[in-house]
Amino acid sequence: MKLFLTHNIDTKDLHSIKVYKKQGGYGSLEKAFAKKPDEIVQMVKDSGLRGRGGAGFPTGLKWSFLAKDVFPRYLACNADESEPGTCKDRVLLQKNPHLLIEGMILCAYACQIETAYIYLRGEFYDLAEIMDKALEEAYEAGYLGANILGSGMNLEMYTHLGAGAYICGEESALLNSLEGMRGEPRLKPPFPAVEGLYGKPTVVNNVETLCAVVPIMNEGPEAYAAVGTEKSKGTKLVSVSGHVKKPGNYEIPMGLPTRDLIYDLAGGIRDDNELKAWIPGGSSVPMLPASLVDTPYDYEAIAAAGSMLGSGALIVMDHTTNVVEEALRLAGFYMHESCGKCTPCREGTRWLHQILSDIHLKKGKESNIALLEDICDNMSFKCFCPLGDAAVAPVISSIQNFREDYEELLNLAKAGTAS
Amino acid sequence: MDKEQVTLTIDGKTVTVPKGMVAVDAAKTVDIDIPVFCYHEKLGPFGCCRMCLVEVEKMPKLATACTLNVSQDMVIKTDTPKVKKGRNGVLEFTLLNHPLDCPVCDKGGECPLQDNTFEHGPDLTRMEYNRAHHDKATPLSPVITIDRERCIACQRCTRYSDIIEKDTALVMLNRGFHNEVGTFNNEPYDTRFSGNVVDICPVGALTNTQYRFKSRNWDLKNAESLCAHCACNCNIVIGTRQNRFMRVQAKSSENSVSNDFVDDGWICDKGRFGYQFLESKNRILDPRENGIGDSRAGVIETAKKVAASFKKIAEEHGPDSVGFLGSPFGTNEELYLYQKLFRLGLGTNNIDHKLYADSPGLPVDHYDMEDVESADLVLTIASDPTEELPILDLRLKKAVSSLGTKLAVLSDQQTLMDCFACHSLRYNVGSDGTVLQSLTDGLGKKGFKKNKGFETETGIESDAFKELIASLKKSTKVCVIYNPEKLTGDSVHILKSFLTALDKNSEGTCGAIPAAPATNALGAMDMGVLPDYYPGGIPVSNAAKIRELWGDSAPVTEGASASELIQKAESGELKALWIYRCNPLVDFPGGAKLEQALKKLDLLVVHDMLETETTRIAKVVLPSNGPGYDEGTTTNIGGRVQFRKRGIVTQNPADWKILGAMLKELDIESDYRDSFEVTSEIASTVPGYSEVNRKNLRKFGHQREKVSNPKVPESKGSSEKAPDKNALRLRVSNYLFAHDKILDASSSLAHHFQTSSIYIHEDDAKSLGLSSGAEVTIKSDWGEIKAEVQVNNRCNPGGALVPYISDEQGVASLLNPDGGPTWVTFKN
Amino acid sequence: MFTFSESSEKQIEKIMKKYPVKRSAILPLLALAQRQDGYITPEAMVEIGKRIDCSPAYVQSVCSFYTMFYTKPVGKYVIQFCINISCHLLGCDDLLEYTANKLNIKVGETTADNKITLLKEECLAECSAAPVMRLNDTYHTNLTREKIDQILDSLD
Ligand SMILES: Cc1cc2nc3c(=O)[nH]c(=O)nc-3n(C[C@H](O)[C@H](O)[C@H](O)COP(=O)(O)O)c2cc1C
Ligand code: SF4
Ligand code: SF4
Ligand code: SF4
Ligand code: FES
Ligand code: FES
Repeated sequence: MKLFLTHNIDTKDLHSIKVYKKQGGYGSLEKAFAKKPDEIVQMVKDSGLRGRGGAGFPTGLKWSFLAKDVFPRYLACNADESEPGTCKDRVLLQKNPHLLIEGMILCAYACQIETAYIYLRGEFYDLAEIMDKALEEAYEAGYLGANILGSGMNLEMYTHLGAGAYICGEESALLNSLEGMRGEPRLKPPFPAVEGLYGKPTVVNNVETLCAVVPIMNEGPEAYAAVGTEKSKGTKLVSVSGHVKKPGNYEIPMGLPTRDLIYDLAGGIRDDNELKAWIPGGSSVPMLPASLVDTPYDYEAIAAAGSMLGSGALIVMDHTTNVVEEALRLAGFYMHESCGKCTPCREGTRWLHQILSDIHLKKGKESNIALLEDICDNMSFKCFCPLGDAAVAPVISSIQNFREDYEELLNLAKAGTAS
Repeated sequence: MDKEQVTLTIDGKTVTVPKGMVAVDAAKTVDIDIPVFCYHEKLGPFGCCRMCLVEVEKMPKLATACTLNVSQDMVIKTDTPKVKKGRNGVLEFTLLNHPLDCPVCDKGGECPLQDNTFEHGPDLTRMEYNRAHHDKATPLSPVITIDRERCIACQRCTRYSDIIEKDTALVMLNRGFHNEVGTFNNEPYDTRFSGNVVDICPVGALTNTQYRFKSRNWDLKNAESLCAHCACNCNIVIGTRQNRFMRVQAKSSENSVSNDFVDDGWICDKGRFGYQFLESKNRILDPRENGIGDSRAGVIETAKKVAASFKKIAEEHGPDSVGFLGSPFGTNEELYLYQKLFRLGLGTNNIDHKLYADSPGLPVDHYDMEDVESADLVLTIASDPTEELPILDLRLKKAVSSLGTKLAVLSDQQTLMDCFACHSLRYNVGSDGTVLQSLTDGLGKKGFKKNKGFETETGIESDAFKELIASLKKSTKVCVIYNPEKLTGDSVHILKSFLTALDKNSEGTCGAIPAAPATNALGAMDMGVLPDYYPGGIPVSNAAKIRELWGDSAPVTEGASASELIQKAESGELKALWIYRCNPLVDFPGGAKLEQALKKLDLLVVHDMLETETTRIAKVVLPSNGPGYDEGTTTNIGGRVQFRKRGIVTQNPADWKILGAMLKELDIESDYRDSFEVTSEIASTVPGYSEVNRKNLRKFGHQREKVSNPKVPESKGSSEKAPDKNALRLRVSNYLFAHDKILDASSSLAHHFQTSSIYIHEDDAKSLGLSSGAEVTIKSDWGEIKAEVQVNNRCNPGGALVPYISDEQGVASLLNPDGGPTWVTFKN
Repeated sequence: MFTFSESSEKQIEKIMKKYPVKRSAILPLLALAQRQDGYITPEAMVEIGKRIDCSPAYVQSVCSFYTMFYTKPVGKYVIQFCINISCHLLGCDDLLEYTANKLNIKVGETTADNKITLLKEECLAECSAAPVMRLNDTYHTNLTREKIDQILDSLD
């Protein structure tokens, strides 16, 4: 299997610049500097790379949207990694920090950016230390700072730690947070590419996305695009968690059947239990039933199956699970993480949680299901930012696909009140 | 440049509006009301409440109309089933944890939540859980009550504090469902403009503590009037119930339409919470003679009697044995009639209303308040908007922070505007004459050269001064705001030559706003309550014009000024003095000492609203109803004439009526049936006011034409050396919430009252051996007062800054009566 | 009164250089104050406000948005226990209860000797090594009762 990001991830001390360079690290820069910035953007477009943070937006296209001739511009690397189930960026940050730096330099060069921030979630204090160390090494080696490798390009790069707020993974909330505000999302438009950090054109990309730019530069966009499916190119780092024998982060070619991911790479279901449900791309996407496990793991196929690839976090549940309990857990999460700015999300997440709690505690009523569905409908696409829509996903998909789990609890409730 | 227009369709109606307007506002232009909570035209789009959902053709999702910029050919629908379901859902969420308080809520009857629910909301609640609980009704400040259970987190109040007030004192705390409006460490939210949040809160979460439970909104009678506390003349709505005062609100989009020429829809806390004087126990209700009040003696009868006495004295001792000391607190009509009474009825120009030097008219355009927003440079001179003209402070902050205006502050004291300024120059107290002269010269051919002498005398660095001059020269629109009251001696005349020079030498246009703080300071000048000018700035020397307008008997010799009137009382030349809404025993140099002089008069009449030190010694006291009761026009600092409607009805005759009767008594024709008839007379006799009529006064008032500009008198100059090396030069500054007759001890703003302080520079503190906290007696040639020393460099070395904080403090008594420098020394 | 220590001041100097706008330093400065005193006092907020030209209310508003800032004292050790889905699927509830019992406190509380504060947290981004907790700055993964015993017993 062709790997672009993790082929050498277990090399001892890869995080040090010495080892990284020995592995060919920073080799892409010379190649890049020989080209014009626009050519790099074109290469990224040609590679078919799409954002790995959740929305899957074509990366090259995003870069080409930057407001023309407005400077300074900024790059913000999204290392907030707080989508439940997701732990793939941390692998790259921890084991291969220079890959990210190199990717960011390429992006900065392509987009004529001179200041870049890596926004890490507050809990990643240890990873920030690793990143800071790597940045120091990169400055020393002349890959950062003024006139990088004599190319005339200048770039300052800094880490910035958040402080506990899932919503700060949303790009505009991230920018607010980076500007020293509450992490409430911003009105869009204007999009960050036009008015982002400090009101200036800004690229926001996920860690994995930026890392992938390095192999695209090194091996050419064709090589990258050769892997994967027609519309989902390259590889994806997937965090597999839950009821599998070998949970972990696996880099796979796009389009690999989900079954292979669960049963081969992740070793199958624990205790050889039966698969019941799986969430393909982190807590914000609809959960799917076992029957769809042959769905190829790529953007289109998963969308066709009724869910989303999201951040690439595969959460696996076996037959011992009552899905309502997991939906409740996630409802609690969204209630806790709603920034509170808009009414449907602030109030709706709490209401969903209240009702799900009742059902879970066997105090529910039959009418609750229809109510849940209607609340979800009233929230969907009516919130200020996608968090509100995300909050609805586990609830509505669990009702659609696992209604029997609700009915079981509601029947117990009925029996309880009867006795 | 006109903004590009776009045409679109809303609910089938065609709408043409400027491109980029938000859909809510575009819909309003064709009377389509899209419900909102968080949107407020002055706060801009925010999009958090989701109430304003609409359907837009070609957009898959519903859009929020408050954040949707309209574009050409857009098709918006506001009443489809999808929209209805969306709004219904949003309202259900909004009401989910909202208490069922309507029957006991002060907002009831004017509550957008109530209204929107009625119109668009769910019939039944499907919420079966306990609503979230919070402390009910706790004080957010002494004047605002917060009920957090009712808050719908629209963030209007917090955005207001951030965007408009620029204090960020009221903020959102916590996250998500636990969001709540609060202040740092639960400290009171008691800024100068806090009360506006009561108006803009779309629910009853923020309420006016004064008004709580006093009335139901539907029982209120609301009158659109003007605030009379300062010369901004903000538009207010006075609410009364059964002829009792209930509350003041800003006139804004919430209840009417805001007057953007004046206040932009905001008022300050003094304007909102400072109206208890309307029902003060110190109101003068009955006429009083020789200290004996008589409720049966008619006000008009008494007034006529005294007018006759004045006439008699004038006949006996000559017209200049009587005099009139007015004030900038009357309306144009009142002041106009008074000057007419004294000029035509008694034949004297012994008329004045102020202590500082100034003459009517400007050599450049008279800018409206709104002009500060379109100016690219605003220069304030000796003005302290925050304390003197609060809404001007808000407008300046808006201009600077969101409209690209640059601010230059030229003052002898540090002010709260300094942090918004790009030039902040502080001159030594008393050196304004030199500064203004150098500015005038600097703009001219000579230019300004680095100059040690200038630096020592004024305390301003040459380089900074040069930069200011350069900015003035290259700006496209300069607005100069100056407070004539705080200029030394007659340097206001130098200031006017500076304006002429600016007009000549700057690349763009320029204009000025004379910013004396009192309600009708400009009107008093325009109405000729001056010893040397007739109404409309006609100098007494212009006999021909005066005869033409006022007849042959009109006096054409200059009369006595305010301080001369007092001197003449002392010397016995003046026999009778009429004082109107003025309290010289506190506000004049010498203060209480003037009692001796005033007691020498044969006849002292005081016509006032509230009892004062001066009414106490008057032979005759007449009641004046004042703002809230009497109607009339006033002219604000921008030259805008507005009509001040009454809020409460009283049995006592209005001042214009009293004056009409007195004029008649002195055989001058006068048959005014209402104040508007006086206004019409003003329109026909006062240059600049010809367009001031009922129609033009409606809605936003009318900017009077610039008063004709007589030649600016030469300044006599005033530089003077300290008489004693331990003497400092006094500067009396203003404090918005001074404890005076209007804001008395029972005022709900009493928490803002301060104690007497003197601010001195650390250099002087060292040489004088004074430190912060020391109690001192401050002495000048004219009086002495007590104060606590604050060493904090609010003014340059050599100056001593004393804010006027109360009548009792009496700092005005220290001042030099001729407007010249006042030197003070200290005694521990 | 709150003052930044000398070493904090050195860091502040570096932090302020990162951003073109002072206000951006608010999270780093709050974190620094917390590292210094264990939690963030109102006095610290006033001081931070001065550094970044913001009102104390603004600082509090921002501070209270983020869950990693404490405005009340916490123990020398703070345990953040993940209770989100991947950890939940692998039994974090039971382990959390076990930990609470062992410490003899409820979740959200601090032990009587002010040594350990036990908090539940949302996903900590180490889901494929669930169950997970964070003890001060260190992650502990694949938790079991035995592992928790070991970790707690090793704390001084
Ligand atoms: C509620 C919410 C949380 C998000 N969290 C993350 C995150 O933790 N990491 C991330 O990279 N993107 C996250 N995103 C997606 C970002 O908004 C943004 O799309 C992404 O950083 C863009 O980078 P990409 O194009 O490289 O994927 C989140 C989005 C939402 C709505
Ligand atoms: S949907 Fe609304 S409340 Fe929820 S996170 Fe987004 S903006 Fe905040
Ligand atoms: S107090 Fe009123 S204005 Fe402020 S957020 Fe709440 S509802 Fe809105
Ligand atoms: S600014 Fe002046 S006129 Fe306006 S409300 Fe305040 S005191 Fe009244
Ligand atoms: S009014 Fe449009 S979202 Fe609040
Ligand atoms: S769910 Fe526990 S670390 Fe992600």
